[in-house]
Amino acid sequence: MQGLHIHGIHHAYGDTDVLNNVSLTVPAGELVCLLGPSGCGKTTLLRIAAGLEKLQAGSISIDESVVAEPGLELPPEDRKIGFMFQDYALFPHLTIRDNVSFGLFRQSKQAARDRAMEMLEQVGLTRHADDYPHMLSGGQQQRVALARALAPAPRLVLLDEPFSGLDSNMRARIRQETLTMLKQTNVATLMVTHDPREAMFMSDRIKVMGANGQVLQSGRPVDIYYKPVDEYVARLFGPVNMIEGPVAGGRLETSFGPVDSEDIPDGQIMRVLIRLEGLSLHYHSGAPTDVPVDVLTAHLLGDSSIVHIRMREGPNKGVEYRARVHGSFDPTAHGQVWARVDPRCIFQYPNPEDGR
Amino acid sequence: MVQISPSFKIESETIDNDHRHLVEIINEITKAIDDGQPGECARLVPDFVAFTKQHFDREEALLAGLSYPLLEKHRRHHISLDDKLQIMLNLAARVVEHPPARDSLRKELVYFLLDDVINEDLNFKKFLAEVETDAAGSDK
Repeated sequence: MQGLHIHGIHHAYGDTDVLNNVSLTVPAGELVCLLGPSGCGKTTLLRIAAGLEKLQAGSISIDESVVAEPGLELPPEDRKIGFMFQDYALFPHLTIRDNVSFGLFRQSKQAARDRAMEMLEQVGLTRHADDYPHMLSGGQQQRVALARALAPAPRLVLLDEPFSGLDSNMRARIRQETLTMLKQTNVATLMVTHDPREAMFMSDRIKVMGANGQVLQSGRPVDIYYKPVDEYVARLFGPVNMIEGPVAGGRLETSFGPVDSEDIPDGQIMRVLIRLEGLSLHYHSGAPTDVPVDVLTAHLLGDSSIVHIRMREGPNKGVEYRARVHGSFDPTAHGQVWARVDPRCIFQYPNPEDGR
Repeated sequence: MVQISPSFKIESETIDNDHRHLVEIINEITKAIDDGQPGECARLVPDFVAFTKQHFDREEALLAGLSYPLLEKHRRHHISLDDKLQIMLNLAARVVEHPPARDSLRKELVYFLLDDVINEDLNFKKFLAEVETDAAGSDK
């Protein structure tokens, strides 16, 4: 298989395990994202794949060739890998052209120069070939870093939080450009990020890593978002409303109606999580499950608003929740407001404190 | 075309043969997509799903017979893949009328086989090798 194949990586610093039997496959032309918090081992895995960190256990193959396994460790320059880091890592004393041609040391000077100019043309920076990195904006520097990573026609590209140094508008633009170029070159790409939205945007597959250096869930972005395997993964994508209660008769009662808990024994305390965007607000009741609520506050964030609501009646009268609605929301414009739940955004997990 | 490279071999005839057959079905599905025969592709996906389930059963029986200590964990992993198999069946039902479903299906099959099935099976490769060595030793 063309691409990256990592199997059974264990890694420890002293007595502390940072990677715990991690395996993954990145076919050529695909982008796989390692998503997780700081310290979960994702950057360590990237460094091991690159050859910047010595492999302790497991194996790594790129395009069918083993590049690392116990007893074999190909140096980074022989793995045909392109890197792109958060801080761009451009050499300040070299021109943009020389930065891009830096990794082409096996080619003649003229060939390296031509290839560098070809790459700079692809990222729209030929006019800056003779400039130095400090003369370019952050976004332009990141484009240079991409050109440099792709110049040697690598078999694998490794991206370590590549856009986190950019402001939000520039980040959106550069990541789109980066994705387009990576797809055009048909290279296998492994990216590390702690930003779930970035992972959702860029990835063909996401590997969610937990604090114990294990892969918790692996799948398409849509599966990770709508079918999180546990509370930790569900909460990665932002704040949630939480309802706790015991299962009775195969269901759990919530403010928004019963949740089916058929396979869960009666009496088990469960946590129901509802994404903020899983609660929609309506000025008219349109479904039998709609529940009347009072709006307490609404905060416009630009493309959406966070609305604080309170149950108006029923057994949970007075309980408060939050909803994220599209655009602005004016609670004074209408009287009665109704809340409705998107069933795709409700998840239930055992309460970790329920010892049964 | 998907090929099983040496790094994906479990070194168990039964399991490697199953993996090889799964690869063959994937390649038939991919060919049907490339040849513009989505109907054929829709017909093959249920075969892939059915054979995958048989493979899981065969593998679990084999590992149970050898008292593989992490069998329960592996069994749970197989169960966790039910959703992904269902996704493939859903995509297969749409490939005739919805061309974008074809690429999604192709991608889903490759990841499923390499990442979710074979990569996980590699976890017991060492165990199988040790069992074989022990058996060879006791035959002497």
